[in-house]
Amino acid sequence: MVTRRRMLAGLAATSLLPSAGWSSVGTPDYLSAARAPDGTYLLAGLTTTDEITFTIPLPARGHAAAAHPERAEAVAFARRPGTFALVMDCRDGAVLKTLTAPESRHFYGHGTFSADGATLFTSENDYEAGEGIIGLWDVTRNYARIGEFSSGGVGPHDLKLMPNGETLVVANGGIETHPDMGRSKLNIPVMAPNLSYVTTSGVPVEDVTLPAALHKNSIRHLAVRQDGMVAFAMQWQGSKSATHPLLGLHQRGTEVKLLTAPPKAQQQLQGYAGSVALSNDGNLVAITSPRGNVLHVFDTGTGQPSAILSAKDVCGVGPTSDGFVFTTGTGIIGTLQSTTAQHALQWDNHLIAITP
Amino acid sequence: MRMIAFAASLLLSTPVWAQDSAALVDTAITDHILPGFTSLANASEALKSAAATDCRSDSEALRTAYHKGFDAWMAVNHLRFGPTEADERAFALAFWPDTKGFAPKSLSKLIAAEDPVVADQAEFSEVSVAARGFFAMEFLLYDDRISQLGDDAYRCSLIQAVANDINRNADAILTDWQSTYPTLMRTPSPEGPYTTDLAAVAELFKALDTGLQFNEEARLGRPLGTFDKPRPRRAEARRSGRSLQNISVSLSSLEQLASILSAQSPSPSDNLTAAFESALSHAEELQDDPVFAGVSDIQGRLRVEILQQYIGNIRDIVLQELGPALDVTAGFNALDGD
Repeated sequence: MVTRRRMLAGLAATSLLPSAGWSSVGTPDYLSAARAPDGTYLLAGLTTTDEITFTIPLPARGHAAAAHPERAEAVAFARRPGTFALVMDCRDGAVLKTLTAPESRHFYGHGTFSADGATLFTSENDYEAGEGIIGLWDVTRNYARIGEFSSGGVGPHDLKLMPNGETLVVANGGIETHPDMGRSKLNIPVMAPNLSYVTTSGVPVEDVTLPAALHKNSIRHLAVRQDGMVAFAMQWQGSKSATHPLLGLHQRGTEVKLLTAPPKAQQQLQGYAGSVALSNDGNLVAITSPRGNVLHVFDTGTGQPSAILSAKDVCGVGPTSDGFVFTTGTGIIGTLQSTTAQHALQWDNHLIAITP
Repeated sequence: MRMIAFAASLLLSTPVWAQDSAALVDTAITDHILPGFTSLANASEALKSAAATDCRSDSEALRTAYHKGFDAWMAVNHLRFGPTEADERAFALAFWPDTKGFAPKSLSKLIAAEDPVVADQAEFSEVSVAARGFFAMEFLLYDDRISQLGDDAYRCSLIQAVANDINRNADAILTDWQSTYPTLMRTPSPEGPYTTDLAAVAELFKALDTGLQFNEEARLGRPLGTFDKPRPRRAEARRSGRSLQNISVSLSSLEQLASILSAQSPSPSDNLTAAFESALSHAEELQDDPVFAGVSDIQGRLRVEILQQYIGNIRDIVLQELGPALDVTAGFNALDGD
């Protein structure tokens, strides 16, 4: 069914010819950054059947990318604390625009588009103040910087648009960093991560925090279900022997549900979840741990673990209709059932679903 | 519960030759870790008694004991795992960088309120980490404002409380290292923090790398700032004139750890010895700028940047040569940590 919103988005896209839709690059389902054997970096389009539909070169190691909802356009972010991001035409790798973070801001490596594709939201650090910022870029005016608002916390990382199209959910990791100090963490003993819901115009609407004992559990990555349930993956910043939960589920207006595997399996994650995804039917949620070389799947209804899968340096994970596709730093693409492809590429942190 | 478990891929890398991981761990504990934390416990005991004897901020004996204690901490501060991480002990010993000025704020608050928490060691251990440890002591002894703030008798009790708390934490860390923790590292088990001997080696390797990284990025990177905006006032422990001293002590100790870890790998070992030698002798030449005040002028800045590059060179050897030799190189994503 073509909704009014989709119609409008379609019209907006056609007014910006000669851009083309995702079908022009083989209709990929995901984007992923990777490193090639010669040490160069690239961005690739992947399908649920493990085909690489396109690759375009990147100037440096990427982190995540944001996929435009209609056009074959991706925004590739440098690893934090990067100050630039590239808007790229996925047909030929042409750099359509270089986004430069404003003075005393840097990117955290994630971004998301508004439902109509007209605005790009980016997670940023106001590093002198140590406060999280969401930057706004007008896609229709060649990605002009048009404003910013508070992310509702410190160290925002992933952010996603809620299904209502009017609210963003932001993972404020709680960790303060400063670009003069690379990736060194400045505030671990006093860190306080949160999950922040904020309207696309910057009005905070809900702030979710973890119990005090979990204040060192940095909320980093997100996946959102069609009914608005948010899955969030965490990275524990405290002592190594702990087996704290690294996955949470949240519905607006209700309490957070924290999911853990049995202690021995939980210990294997080494306190580090790298990515999170929800299956398209919404019944399963998965987190990956490249440090533990393991992927955990839980039933979203019962909150119980339903599968554990070992894969060396697994990190990227994306949804299929009833399960997941994962990628590894050793070049493997697999599903819960089997390894389905091995490429001479090192797949980077995230598999970004393209969701028109 | 349905559990599917299968291996999608196995290790791609294989060690070059048989390595005695258990021996590396054992030497590191015996020759590096235990002596380091024993010195810290002794030096902090001396600091505690110096403060008990004379708690005036300009007391020479107290200031000397502070410097000796800080030196002892710098020699172990890269060992950020296990006993130092329990109960926030490492942060309670040294909360830096303090980007939001929590230390002066919390100390001023205690002094203004003459908070009786200083009278009870157990209660004082619950005070913010920013008001405890060597950096709080530095403010109390050397900061123009804090060292004169409020009532002398109260500040005296506060100095004694901070000294006692440093000693309590140092003792707690040493106790763990003398009892339970070496066993966890020496005898890996599926339930413990280390499942293999190699995992324990990897922990020590990580301590070496992050220790070097902290010297490069934080202790030097913060005062260097950018060329257009140098930040000399962000130098670590500049109030007591220890910015360079902290790096020198830390580097000497990291050199010892590097030499233990590379004992079975001749080639990285030689390169590491040379790289540490360059960095330490350049640090020696920087003695006339102990708090990196020179970062604001071109010549002075260059000298500090060169030290940073020498430390960067050590790190390159650690990551590119020692890591593969020890077989502890983490995966593309595992290492990225984001």
